[in-house]
Amino acid sequence: MEILTLNNCTIRFGGLTAVDSLTTHVGQNELVGMIGPNGAGKTTVFNIITGVYDPTEGDVLFNGESIVKYKPFEVTAKGIARTFQNIRLCQSLSIRDNVKVSYNKSCKSRLVSSVIQPGSYFKEENEIDEDIDRLLEMFDLHVDSDDYAKNLPYGEQRKLEIVRALATKPQLLLLDEPAAGMNPSEKKDLMKLIQTVKEKFKISILLVEHDMSVVMGICERIFVLDYGKKIAEGKPEEIQKDPKVILAYLGEEVKK
Amino acid sequence: MRNSKLLFLVSVVAIFGINLLSGSINQYYYQIIIYAGINIILATSLNLINGYTGQFSLGHAGFMAIGAYLSASISTYFAPQLIAILGEGAFGHAVWFLVVLLIGGLGASVAGLIVGVPSLRLKGDYLAITTLGFSEIIRVVIQNLNIIGASQGFRSIYVYDNGVRSLEAVQEYSNIGYKFYEVPKYTDFFWTFLVVAIIIFGITNLMRSTYGRGFIAVKDDEIAAESMGINTTKFKVTAFVIGAFFAGIAGGLYAHFIQYVNPEDFNFLRSVEIVVMVILGGMGSTLGVVIAAIILTILPELLRDVQQYRMIIYALLIIIMMLLRPQGLFGINISRGKKKTRPAEEKSKGA
Repeated sequence: MEILTLNNCTIRFGGLTAVDSLTTHVGQNELVGMIGPNGAGKTTVFNIITGVYDPTEGDVLFNGESIVKYKPFEVTAKGIARTFQNIRLCQSLSIRDNVKVSYNKSCKSRLVSSVIQPGSYFKEENEIDEDIDRLLEMFDLHVDSDDYAKNLPYGEQRKLEIVRALATKPQLLLLDEPAAGMNPSEKKDLMKLIQTVKEKFKISILLVEHDMSVVMGICERIFVLDYGKKIAEGKPEEIQKDPKVILAYLGEEVKK
Repeated sequence: MRNSKLLFLVSVVAIFGINLLSGSINQYYYQIIIYAGINIILATSLNLINGYTGQFSLGHAGFMAIGAYLSASISTYFAPQLIAILGEGAFGHAVWFLVVLLIGGLGASVAGLIVGVPSLRLKGDYLAITTLGFSEIIRVVIQNLNIIGASQGFRSIYVYDNGVRSLEAVQEYSNIGYKFYEVPKYTDFFWTFLVVAIIIFGITNLMRSTYGRGFIAVKDDEIAAESMGINTTKFKVTAFVIGAFFAGIAGGLYAHFIQYVNPEDFNFLRSVEIVVMVILGGMGSTLGVVIAAIILTILPELLRDVQQYRMIIYALLIIIMMLLRPQGLFGINISRGKKKTRPAEEKSKGA
């Protein structure tokens, strides 16, 4: 069963074809990796899936439904969450509140009840708080959750972004270079964490990463982009041996 | 906070109690207190738009003008008939005033919606210019509407026995045969500070809630907020409409206090004055904005003794303030953090 299907997706910015007729899929509870050299169009693919860009051609299906026309917040409501390559946490919100923002879509308390605050409001807010505590606990973020998110060390900010994405209760999680800027031991922890998240929340994950040890270590399937085109797809071992992939990453061998 | 409702009730009772004593207050001080209240309403409502949601609006005086003129003209044109239905007593007047205020607020919020939906696609300076342009349009339109006094200002109307209502007519026949109605003076300490209490408690409660955090997320990072499932357009328009509503109510209170409204009361400088209160108080801090509104109401009055240097001192104080505390009186200093001062590690730009 496929949860996400990209059908011949193409996006052009003027004369530049950033993603060229990409067809791929992510299965139920599958961990898929997307790799490729810089500028291959990986983040653009994320932006197409999450509705930031509309593809010039082609279709994106989520659970069999086309999500091309949805806006980013509607895509999130459908069950796709993402993290960002350059961390995008809310600077003036605390750690807890950063996560809390994600509960907005499922929160029953809207404008009026937030102002008047009936009994059910406090019940809901308490439930949200407990849920946040559980998530932070699971991610080993044993910190003062009332502190500003930007005071966290870099690696933990990345983790917080994943927590925030998970708080939207997604079925599919898109991780954009979650290991960037982490040291080897942090990377190892993160790999374990990603797998735990996948098992525990029963979600599918699409992962973009430059660190090959991470990608090869946890991904069940990998596809490779180069100049917007998919040049290879398969199991990690197959990808490592694929001459096209080696060519894209290392360049052509000089023939004598 | 669970006890916020209790605190609200206590403050309403306190406002009612103080209102009973208001007769003994010097008229001059009383006027300053009412103006401070109106300014608090204006500044806190603008703070929701500019401070919390981060949308720079420069057109608050426009919404205030709509509320002021709408409620004043309804009061003047229709109050005599409708008060007759409810009776001349205090109750009749109170109900009527509340209705008039709400109509003024709703009128302003409809205008907020009309302006907000197209212009909130813009950001920063562009939005500021659009909202400024809008408030100037309102002012110019009012200036040319004879029915509400045009550029002479709206003071009163004259109801003729034959039912013809006209401002010009009275200048020709300024003797017998008409009844004289002016904008009634309904606004008092109770009404003004009741609205102040409502807006302060409302915004404080709202900003503490999960829903309210959405507004701040929109300010901090729209793309991130959107991807966390926040409909940023809706949040921005909501903030705009609520802000305009309370600006309209403040306008209504203003009109029913001085019983005279002039388009020049709602010019560009008025908008700037409210923005200064928000910036001085600290964007996104209700307490700071309230204090700044009070200070900026009292300060020009205190400086009356040194009349000719008044604006210089006023301007200097604002400059000094901005140099010493750029984040405002109670604003959060983002670069310092709340509790710990551990600097975030150097952010490497991921490739």
